Amino acid sequence: MIGTGIKRGTAELAVLSVLEHGSLHGYEMARRIEQQTKGALRFTLAALYPMLYRMERHGWIRGAWETSNSGRRRRCYRLTAVGKKMLPPLRQEWSELFRALRQLKKASHA
Amino acid sequence: MPDWEKVVGEQLTGLALDAADEREVHAELAAHLEETYEALLREGMTESDAIHRALSLAGDWNDLQRKIQSARTRKDTMTNRITQFWLPGFLTFALSMSLLELVQKFFPQPFMLRLDHPSVLLFYVPWLLTLPLAGALGAYLSKRAGASPPMALFSSLFPVLPLAAIFLIAIPVGLVISHTLSHSIVAAAFLTLGIEWVAVPGAVLLAGGFLMRVFFSRRLVSRRIVGG
Repeated sequence: MIGTGIKRGTAELAVLSVLEHGSLHGYEMARRIEQQTKGALRFTLAALYPMLYRMERHGWIRGAWETSNSGRRRRCYRLTAVGKKMLPPLRQEWSELFRALRQLKKASHA
Repeated sequence: MPDWEKVVGEQLTGLALDAADEREVHAELAAHLEETYEALLREGMTESDAIHRALSLAGDWNDLQRKIQSARTRKDTMTNRITQFWLPGFLTFALSMSLLELVQKFFPQPFMLRLDHPSVLLFYVPWLLTLPLAGALGAYLSKRAGASPPMALFSSLFPVLPLAAIFLIAIPVGLVISHTLSHSIVAAAFLTLGIEWVAVPGAVLLAGGFLMRVFFSRRLVSRRIVGG
């Protein structure tokens, strides 16, 4: 069972990563994360929106209402300068964690 | 197609945000549900299945509401504790103590339940009958502030918590300092006081809290039925 802290950390990294390439609304963000992680990360509304609101409050992302060509209004999120700065160290932290876990696995097999 | 904003509005009635903020949250969640619903229709799902599947995406609406409330307001954990536990708890405590004052003034004779001699349990029955109200008030205020169900029940128990804490400290201390021969008397005295002032009132307060919880969940279910 993956703990809440780890889940939150990976979910935040996933959101920052998909927003790196441009602004997205919540549904599209969830869909892309699910596709790109081959279903490993799936969001319910209760997991996604409170996290987006919290990240917005911390100043990592910013949401704004946009109207699409079809006339639909969607709240789209984009990375702020703070969010952009957070992404490389966060990625580094996670890759170090995974490297450490892989080493642990290797050691237990040896 | 369902009116998704209406559906979301009917489920998240307890959000304590300002009107514009609340509308924004409703609109955003409704847009997400609408996109999901339309994608499911495109996959070939029937309309009613697509509605149910899209709604299931929300999971527990109560949980969603609590998390949104916490994320949208600038409250930290300490502030949440105050509004979800301490404040409802103190109000419940104040109400139950006021009720006890009134009962002792108008019905000064407690009900006596004789057990083995010399143990006698004393109960202010009219006070016990009013306590579910205090318990329900604690649970209601706590729930309204976005507390989880266990936290809301804990708030309804608040009036007996200080007494329980006193007993937890006093019983071992009393037993240590009492004379060896009087241990059984001291223990019996603490036991009867514990039943009179902690166990029975606690159970009654909890019953009030449970009733409020049942009321909340029934209201949620009926809203879901109405919302389709």
